[in-house]
Amino acid sequence: MSRHLLLLASSRRTRKWLIAVLLSTGAWVALSSGATGETGKDLPRFESEVLPVFQANCLVCHGDGQRQKGLDLRSRDSVLKGGDSGPAIVPGSANESLLVQKVSSGAMPVGGKKLADADIERIRRWIDAGALKQGEEPASVKKLPPIQLTDREILTAILHVKCLVCHGKRDTQGGLDMRTRASLLKGGQSGPAIVLGKPDESLVVRRIADGHPSPELQNEYFVRPVTSNEVEKLRHWIAGGAPVEVDEVLRVGDGPDALVRDEDRKFWSFQPPKRSIVPKVRNRERVRSAVDAFLLDKLEAKGLSFSGDAEPLTLLRRATFDLTGMPPAPEEVVAFLQDTKPGAYERMVDRLLASPHYGERWARFWLDAAGYADSEGGGGDSIRPQAYRYRDYVIRSLNADKPYDRFLLEQIAGDELFDYKAVKEPTAEQLDNLVATGFLRMTPDRTHEHDANFVPTRLETIADVVEMVGSTVMGLTLGCARCHDHKFDPIPQRDYYRFSAILRSAYDPYDWLIPNKLVGGNQKREPAHRELSCVPEKERQEAEAFNAPIQAEIKRLESSLKQLSKPLEAKLVDENLSRLPEQLKTEVRQAFEKPAEKRSTLEKYLVEKFRTSVEVTQKDLEERFKEFREPAEKLAKAITQAKNRLRPQPGIRALFDMGGEAMPTRLLRRGDPFNPGPRVEAGVPSVLREGVAAYKVVAPSWTTNSSGYRLALARWLVQPSHPLTARVIVNRIWQHHFADGIVATVENFGRTGTAPTHPELLDWLATEFVRGGWSLKTLHRLIMTSTAYRQSSHLDPAASAAQRDPDNGLLSRFPMRRMDADQLRDSILKVSGRLDPTPFGPPEGVEVTAEGEVLSKSVPAACGGGVCLVPAVQSAVRRSVYTLLRRETPVTLLEVFDAPQLQPNCLKRGQSTVATQALQLFNGEAMRESARYFAGRIIDVAGSDVGKHIERTYLAALSRPPAPAELSAGRDAVQALTGQWLDQLQKEVPTEPRQSKAQWLGLASFCQVILNSPDFVYID
Amino acid sequence: MDSKRNPRNRPVAASAQELSRRDFFSRVGDGLYGAALASLLQSDLFPTSIALAASNAVPDLRPRAGHFPAKAKAVIQLFMHGGPSQVDLFDPKPLLEKFAGQPPSRDIANDILFVGNAGGMMPSPFKFSKHGQSGMEISNVLPHLSRHADDIALVRSMFSTNFTHGPAVFFMHGGRIFPDRPTVGAWVVYGLGSENQNLPAYVVLDDPKGLPTVGIRNWQSGWLPPVYQGTRLRSEGSPMLNLRPPDGVPPGVLELERSLLARLSEAHRDSRPGQPDLEARLASYELAARMQLSATDALDLSKESEATREMYGLNDEPTASYGRRCLMARRLVERGVRMVQIYVEGQIWDNHSDLETSLRYCCNKTDKPIGALLTDLKQRGLYDSTLVVWGGEFGRLPLSQVTPGREKNAGRDHGPTGFTVWMGGGGVKGGTVHGATDELGYKAVENRVSVHDFHATILHLLGLDFGRLTYNHHGLNEKLTGQEPARVVKEILA
Repeated sequence: MSRHLLLLASSRRTRKWLIAVLLSTGAWVALSSGATGETGKDLPRFESEVLPVFQANCLVCHGDGQRQKGLDLRSRDSVLKGGDSGPAIVPGSANESLLVQKVSSGAMPVGGKKLADADIERIRRWIDAGALKQGEEPASVKKLPPIQLTDREILTAILHVKCLVCHGKRDTQGGLDMRTRASLLKGGQSGPAIVLGKPDESLVVRRIADGHPSPELQNEYFVRPVTSNEVEKLRHWIAGGAPVEVDEVLRVGDGPDALVRDEDRKFWSFQPPKRSIVPKVRNRERVRSAVDAFLLDKLEAKGLSFSGDAEPLTLLRRATFDLTGMPPAPEEVVAFLQDTKPGAYERMVDRLLASPHYGERWARFWLDAAGYADSEGGGGDSIRPQAYRYRDYVIRSLNADKPYDRFLLEQIAGDELFDYKAVKEPTAEQLDNLVATGFLRMTPDRTHEHDANFVPTRLETIADVVEMVGSTVMGLTLGCARCHDHKFDPIPQRDYYRFSAILRSAYDPYDWLIPNKLVGGNQKREPAHRELSCVPEKERQEAEAFNAPIQAEIKRLESSLKQLSKPLEAKLVDENLSRLPEQLKTEVRQAFEKPAEKRSTLEKYLVEKFRTSVEVTQKDLEERFKEFREPAEKLAKAITQAKNRLRPQPGIRALFDMGGEAMPTRLLRRGDPFNPGPRVEAGVPSVLREGVAAYKVVAPSWTTNSSGYRLALARWLVQPSHPLTARVIVNRIWQHHFADGIVATVENFGRTGTAPTHPELLDWLATEFVRGGWSLKTLHRLIMTSTAYRQSSHLDPAASAAQRDPDNGLLSRFPMRRMDADQLRDSILKVSGRLDPTPFGPPEGVEVTAEGEVLSKSVPAACGGGVCLVPAVQSAVRRSVYTLLRRETPVTLLEVFDAPQLQPNCLKRGQSTVATQALQLFNGEAMRESARYFAGRIIDVAGSDVGKHIERTYLAALSRPPAPAELSAGRDAVQALTGQWLDQLQKEVPTEPRQSKAQWLGLASFCQVILNSPDFVYID
Repeated sequence: MDSKRNPRNRPVAASAQELSRRDFFSRVGDGLYGAALASLLQSDLFPTSIALAASNAVPDLRPRAGHFPAKAKAVIQLFMHGGPSQVDLFDPKPLLEKFAGQPPSRDIANDILFVGNAGGMMPSPFKFSKHGQSGMEISNVLPHLSRHADDIALVRSMFSTNFTHGPAVFFMHGGRIFPDRPTVGAWVVYGLGSENQNLPAYVVLDDPKGLPTVGIRNWQSGWLPPVYQGTRLRSEGSPMLNLRPPDGVPPGVLELERSLLARLSEAHRDSRPGQPDLEARLASYELAARMQLSATDALDLSKESEATREMYGLNDEPTASYGRRCLMARRLVERGVRMVQIYVEGQIWDNHSDLETSLRYCCNKTDKPIGALLTDLKQRGLYDSTLVVWGGEFGRLPLSQVTPGREKNAGRDHGPTGFTVWMGGGGVKGGTVHGATDELGYKAVENRVSVHDFHATILHLLGLDFGRLTYNHHGLNEKLTGQEPARVVKEILA
């Protein structure tokens, strides 16, 4: 026992750099000044003070009979317990109590009848006094340890988090800027915000005490009020003279660093790749490229060699799937068989690399890595109408074989590559540079939601971007160092925040832009959004031309509604005010007519008092005038429908420097925004020093408004001998060809990642890649023309490879693979002749069935090809990369086959084999629909000869002609199936010729089986 | 020979059985379809509790005997993501009252990584009472479980090694802090197969509100063949999408389609030896066909009485979702499913702040359904043959976690050094309290139980010897407990 109670007062951290303000008392929680007496007899009790208010207003829904949202307001304890949203009250703090927020804002009770102010005040008083029930003793005042306060706790943790929306860099309402102590002292139009040593004379304290910001303002500006605890702290800080700490900056110099030692830098992946010497091997005739020599060297050490070359048609299918994500067309199969000249294989690879489908296939991997989705994530998961431009940029860049260094440069700092603000009509390339920065905008961003746009959520958004860049570009688990030093790698928490600071000049959590423009929203105020409007003029005009008639329609509908409601509105207001004396009635009306800022104190009071009587809502009207309800609802519905059809304003979902000085980035202890630590400056992980010039910021010369932070990062990353950049991408390309990377943990090149199976090969490829001008297509060609890639996937169980290379880590054979989700869906569409190859543009929509299945549906004509919310009917048959990718509702077929949950991104998709996949493919109606299409197209092409049908089915789906035995078995099967269908059709009233319909359906059943067969779904 | 088809990888050797799954599949193809097939499957093909051997080394899910007889035939694991707080639920520490607000002792402080937010010692806001004949002390926030004090064994001396969720979850499931190892559930069905071939052997009932931490990797099979991974069944709406073929396809056509597909699949597999995924795919199609008949029935809660639905809390919002899954779990083990895991959304037990309200939310959601599950299993005579396991990836510290200025919202930080789990049912000695933490509930000090011990005990209760349940991977006979020392916690066995 004694061992445990050696109390260690000094274990709390000591802060040598701050001026301590010891508070004389720590008792600012618990009871407010309303507390009297020892027993609290005079304190308000639930039963006498609050319950009557609830009985009159709330219990219909929250108590007697029903408990909406799980909330029961009949007793103090049940109020404390709360409902689905948590406790309804926080004893001692009315401001923090959900119930008070709801009734003050008028959100509750529903129906717009706000509680009387006196009742709200009654509830507030009760909560502030401890929320006691009858016969309960007030809790004793808890003494808390004194807390030392500096500007960091006050400014960074309180005022910056809550006040800067209106009093910061973007907006200085009332002339007040609350970013620094100095600006607080300077104050605004009403005078200094703080008076040193005199908290109660300080305007900021007084305004907050007066209830600023009001619930209306909170709602309008998405801000939360300063809590009573925080006000207390603020008062203490001002009372102590608003002390400022000496702001230490955690710098990283060239000298010895306690957190990252030179020894740490010796780990292989932190050293630059060295050009390896190609090993000499015995079996030289199997070496087609250096790649083979490295692999064979390890195989021979185990007494193994490569497997034999695969059959030509196997190679055609493998290469076509690899490069285009779909099987070859029957004509391509025939042509390849006929090409007997030397170099046929290489020509085929070149042809596929030149295919426009190459970019569509390989964009999928990059988009997964970037965390691409057409929605923001979070509860609402709202649509990102402009994300597709980035997707198209990636596809076009890959098709053009844009060098990878340039590709990265554009995506990380495209906005800093030219002076986009000075350009009137940007060129196509300049537009691409801006669209490219969408790379840093693809991970989830929940700040689009009305109730989520607060500093912690903003920091979450930035954290996802850091994690994504770390894993995708650098193969580092940077995210692990967000709350503490990395547990395994030499990445101190300091370096996480230094890296994060690179993004802060664009993503400033204290000067935030919501991710996209609200469409059809009813918010009073449209917050600024993070989009650039410099799209080609033509596109803007198109959108305007499309929207103009819809907007006219909306206007017309709205005015009809107004015409309908206006006389009733006047009538209802008259009724509401009927009991008032004439004089007062006039004053009330006058008060409402005046603009808010010109009202006298009395008028303000009247407005507050009679707001619900005068500002009647549509709902009030519907309740009062029954005959109004039906036409009003009809009109309101039509308005909503029309708004949903509006095409979003064209814009670019870009990341751009905000210009000016960003708020300083601080290390956040435990990742907690309310626990800020010392400042950091923008920088890169200090462990990466070998082979690279230091991270150096040079602000672009043409503009004073861009920090150059991200440009510096991009330039730092694309240095030829960077230890990670080339290795990481080369390894991922390898993974997509061979199922596993040379480093199996493609996202983690750190100490807990797996070691490379062939380190020399990895380095050779990385250096070769850079030497070849960072060309991805050259890399593909290098890999695909190797013997290793051209091997058979067949494994002879008796052969030594099975014993000595059981998991194929040495690549003694080609890994057989199941199609991934996109390959599967696209192939079914292509094989059945349904595929619409139209590239680019806004994505196809999705529809959720009553059963919960998510289907890809084409965008209705009413939406003119834009993203819209009007329900669709027709199945979408474009490639999966052009299908709406909504985080919360992924297309079921894709999800079942392991399409990733981009939270925030994915570098390697899973490969599960479960019964739900069989159900989806065998029972799903969409699949049967495709099989019928498939059969219909075969009959169209091949006439009525069943033998030809079988041949065509095999060629299209399996990329080979059937063997004789398969042909005859297929013929028998189709005949039997046709017979069964005929039996069925004979039971029905004939609307079509039975015989030919049975033939079609019989062949469709055969196609259904082929599309379900492993011969189709697996790639040898 | 590929390790996944290695003849050494025969989970448990037993007598041969002539009916292979291939025979079975051909019967489906021959037209035995519908209800008749269902009854045939149940009664003739797979009589329960007869040990069947793998007639070849191909992985399958046919039931097989363990290493020794055991009472428990099935497991229901109630996994509590986030780290439930032991000192507020199962491990009362009155001394915390005395030292409330005091800074932690030197050795605790030395073990805490982040002193920045560590507040003083924090007593539990909940009271504890003694329950049952055993007098087991359980927090008043778990009134329903408390009635089952004599049915469960508390292990108050669990300890883990990792204090972050992801790695700690992997550790609790697979015995290592890294992903890609088989989970306990995968090992169990590898060892014992399943009593019901018409339902997945290893069923996962995740929360419709969202996946738990580390997502689908909670039920992965790692390098065990994929047929041993968990299958998610939806607890709302149709249990699985596309459970039946669309209307309008005549049964005769379906039969022909199935038999043709079976022929093609087997020919494809036979010409590609050493590809275990193909075997798994074949099995997945067979299972899909059988599930059409059985999954709907198994998860159809409308067949339960109103009293049962009420008991599980299906009529109340806070308990309805978890209650449905508990009731489904009972129906599944009743039908011979070997392993059922019930998950919560995200990591709700991660009560870093607002301890009292956030912990209460978790208890309100799960306590009543869990109490009902135990009652129900008992009244149906299933409790003796079902092992119920409750616990998270770690516990929490007895000190408060505070953000300066938000003391009222204090919570508790992760505490891997000492926490509580419980087990109940088949083979477990109810009313047992095993092990203890120190006076402050910080660290397991008495009869310490490691995660490997915990795993060994689960296997033991199912008749599996953790040292002998092996799988050859990369030339090493891998075990759930790896190369770590492990011991069965005999003290909680009946």
